[in-house]
Amino acid sequence: MHTKPKRGRRGAAAFLPYLLLAPALVLLLGMVYPFGLGLYYSFTSYWLQYPNRFRFVWLDNYIGLMEEPLFVRALEFTLGFTLVAVVIQVGLGLAVALFLHARIPGRAVLRALMLLPLMVPPVITALMWKIMMASTNAGILNYMLSFVGIDPVNWFGSTQGAIVSVLIIDTWGNLPFVALILLGGLQALPNEPYEAARVDGAGPITMLRYVTLPLLSPFIVLVLLFRTMDSLRIFDVIYATTLGGPNDATTNLQILAYQYSFQWYQMGKGMAQAIVLLLLVVLVSYLLMRLWNRAAESTA
Amino acid sequence: MEPGRGEHGLMTDRVVPSKTSRAVPYQRYVQNVAITVATVLLLVWTVFPFVWILLTSLKSPGDILSVPPTFTFVPTLDNYAALVMGEQRGQYSSTRPDFPLFFLNSMIISFGAVALSVAAGIPAAYALARFTFPFKNAIGFVLMSFRFVPFIAFVIPLYLLYQRLGLYNTHTGLIFAYQIITLPFTVWMLRSFFMEIPLEIQEAAQIDGCSWLGVLVRVILPLSLPGIAVTVILGFMFSWNAFNYPLMLAGRQTFPVTVGAIQFISYEQVLWGQMAAATIVAALPQLVLSLMVQKYIVRGLTMGAVK
Repeated sequence: MHTKPKRGRRGAAAFLPYLLLAPALVLLLGMVYPFGLGLYYSFTSYWLQYPNRFRFVWLDNYIGLMEEPLFVRALEFTLGFTLVAVVIQVGLGLAVALFLHARIPGRAVLRALMLLPLMVPPVITALMWKIMMASTNAGILNYMLSFVGIDPVNWFGSTQGAIVSVLIIDTWGNLPFVALILLGGLQALPNEPYEAARVDGAGPITMLRYVTLPLLSPFIVLVLLFRTMDSLRIFDVIYATTLGGPNDATTNLQILAYQYSFQWYQMGKGMAQAIVLLLLVVLVSYLLMRLWNRAAESTA
Repeated sequence: MEPGRGEHGLMTDRVVPSKTSRAVPYQRYVQNVAITVATVLLLVWTVFPFVWILLTSLKSPGDILSVPPTFTFVPTLDNYAALVMGEQRGQYSSTRPDFPLFFLNSMIISFGAVALSVAAGIPAAYALARFTFPFKNAIGFVLMSFRFVPFIAFVIPLYLLYQRLGLYNTHTGLIFAYQIITLPFTVWMLRSFFMEIPLEIQEAAQIDGCSWLGVLVRVILPLSLPGIAVTVILGFMFSWNAFNYPLMLAGRQTFPVTVGAIQFISYEQVLWGQMAAATIVAALPQLVLSLMVQKYIVRGLTMGAVK
């Protein structure tokens, strides 16, 4: 307590913070309980349609996953998609941030407009692009691409097309987030290192490489962290466009866990996949947070 | 704009005077062309999808399927009328008359979720911002850790529980489920706003005899009113965005607009025009609200980690 509790009321005052937290903690418990229940189910053979087969199977669900070709493919896709999406989004986002930081005409308007995609619910973003990516000749995207000599793309019908489509849609929705945070970082950078570099005769590229990027690194790691966490778990966009298809080409762990539990009603296996995904998110986040601490220390 | 902190000369027109000064007009020309091209690209990439969807929502079925896609057509409000009334002058299959219901559901669930989160979040954030007590960091960490859990890990057990408890396909059930999205966010955001209020003001109030409740009601809440407003608006936006929880926990009567909008696909044909109109209607509240909280969006999306 910052305030010295009055004598005689010390006992009551010690409870005060918990009293204040109580409503939130009750709600929190309402979330922890289902999660704990789900964790328990991941060790059982819970299959909604066969309630009498329910039993505790220890690690069978987890061990079984490794022999599941569908799971291995989904794991590969989850990791591969995250890597590509994050590299593209952070790379492009950095370029956009640098561009919008420079003194260009109409900068304020551009900055405001650039934000718009971030405000659209992700599933709505997916539907917007689904309309534009119609693979018939009426699709506007294919029509525009025809001007640069690209043949009509079968956006959601082919494996590669589907993966590229999901990448494009996810990038459109999240580029503003990356650009916004990095732009904020750029605006907070001190002036002195640039003046020193200028005196030394450094050109724009040298300054970017040796002054801007190192100073910006805590912000870059931060967007890496947020984008990685969300890319590992992308669901809305895939569900609304490809539903994991075609041929499971865009099935990531979240989609697979959804299919196991809500299409095949194998709750135990679905939960085990959800827990594996959670562990993956925690592991990657932990590594990135350690990187963030190091980046923050070196620039402090 | 005068150069201040952070206004360094990267990619700007401040050209270093040096021996290459004779090349400057040419350089400037290239630079201007590059800036123009980049501006146009960024504009098209960001704004064109909105323009195209808006146009699509104003087209008749014939114009939507025209090859090549057309920019000139006689606009019609039929698609919007179909959303509200459920029929489209008999032109093709009559459709969802329930979109207004979905919109209402979104309103009820989002308002309910935010109201509950703010009611529980204000005292919690006050405790986390202004008191020291055992397990304080642990509680804060548990709250934050919800950000890491994939939704499917919550939704599977919630689905099973809700079936049993009769909360499946109810607004109440959804409002509780949405706490996973809004509560940790609300507590962390409010905490960051409360912590910005100088301790001296609080101490002055305490010397004047304010109790902890007085400090909260007379000092913290009035001074952080803008912060609370921002938290409410952002929480509302996140709830409005939610798709995966209601997809599994809601039914026909309780679907929000996000789940309602994908219903246009699962028919024998995709109703492009109506889907476009539905996306416009579903995105509009967000776009309007975002104008009010532009400055705080980063803070909201990072739960107060970045200001």
